[in-house]
Amino acid sequence: MAEPPVSDAQLIARALVADDRHAFAELVKRHQSSVRACLRKLTAGNHALADDLAQDTFVLAWRNLKSFRQEARFSTWLYRIATNCWLADARKRKEELLGDRTDAIADDEDATMPHIDAMHADHARASSLKMDLERAMAVLSDAERAAIVQCYHNDLTHEEAAYVLDCPVGTVKTHVLRGKQKLKLALAAWAPTET
Amino acid sequence: MNRNMNPTPGTEPHAANAAATSARDWLDDLLDSDARDERSSYIADAGFTARVMHALPVPLTLPAWRKPAIVALWGVALAGISLALPSAFLDVVREGYRLIGAQPVSLSGMVGALVLAGTLSWTAAAYALRASE
Repeated sequence: MAEPPVSDAQLIARALVADDRHAFAELVKRHQSSVRACLRKLTAGNHALADDLAQDTFVLAWRNLKSFRQEARFSTWLYRIATNCWLADARKRKEELLGDRTDAIADDEDATMPHIDAMHADHARASSLKMDLERAMAVLSDAERAAIVQCYHNDLTHEEAAYVLDCPVGTVKTHVLRGKQKLKLALAAWAPTET
Repeated sequence: MNRNMNPTPGTEPHAANAAATSARDWLDDLLDSDARDERSSYIADAGFTARVMHALPVPLTLPAWRKPAIVALWGVALAGISLALPSAFLDVVREGYRLIGAQPVSLSGMVGALVLAGTLSWTAAAYALRASE
């Protein structure tokens, strides 16, 4: 008979009580995809930086595992650490990061444009939309981008996003609203036309 | 905090969020669709977990020789004192033996002390658990 899956809480208890690194490795395996995806979104697609921040996130989680009080799901707690890591890093290298990203997107466009043909028009449209969305996200302030990523990409409620971002629920709603207004302006070309 | 915070049970949290703030529009659909695409694509571990485990701080373990070395040092120190001050050392040992030997310890006394210690520990544990709830 197959053994029942071990819950996150049980793995955390093992890691805490017995200093069990295998249990923590299992937690990393379970949550690495969602944490890395969240950070890729926050870093506007910079995979290398996102993976470095994800590594920092799990190391911090290991060091502070004792302070995890089960007041939120483990994944939500990880998002909170990840967001803090990203915010701290973004403060340090904001200007450099934005400059590099703009250049990279411009290079990508130059490289891909000649290969578009009529057969792949839909795919090209979707890719183009994705790229425009990524670029528009990069224009948002850190707080707005973080709020949009938590509420849409990570599928959290406003209350959970407030826990992750360590701010009141009203502030999250304001950031989401302002972020969406900016996105609408940046993506105006993609808005459905009134008939 | 848990998923029950969702104000509209049975719907996606972000959909409930959008409904709570304003009517859903094309941007909500666009963000939802982008999020769905991202969630459906699992990022392969590809050595990431190993990298994290390698980066964890090394556990503080004492070297195996430390304990016997400390015991040996104490032994050497005691032997040194006994050789340097033999009369003082013998006086300390003799007085210590007399002090312990003078205390009559009965079986019922030992049991009573154990029961008292057990009761105190359980009461303290129960109080601490109740206080942390």
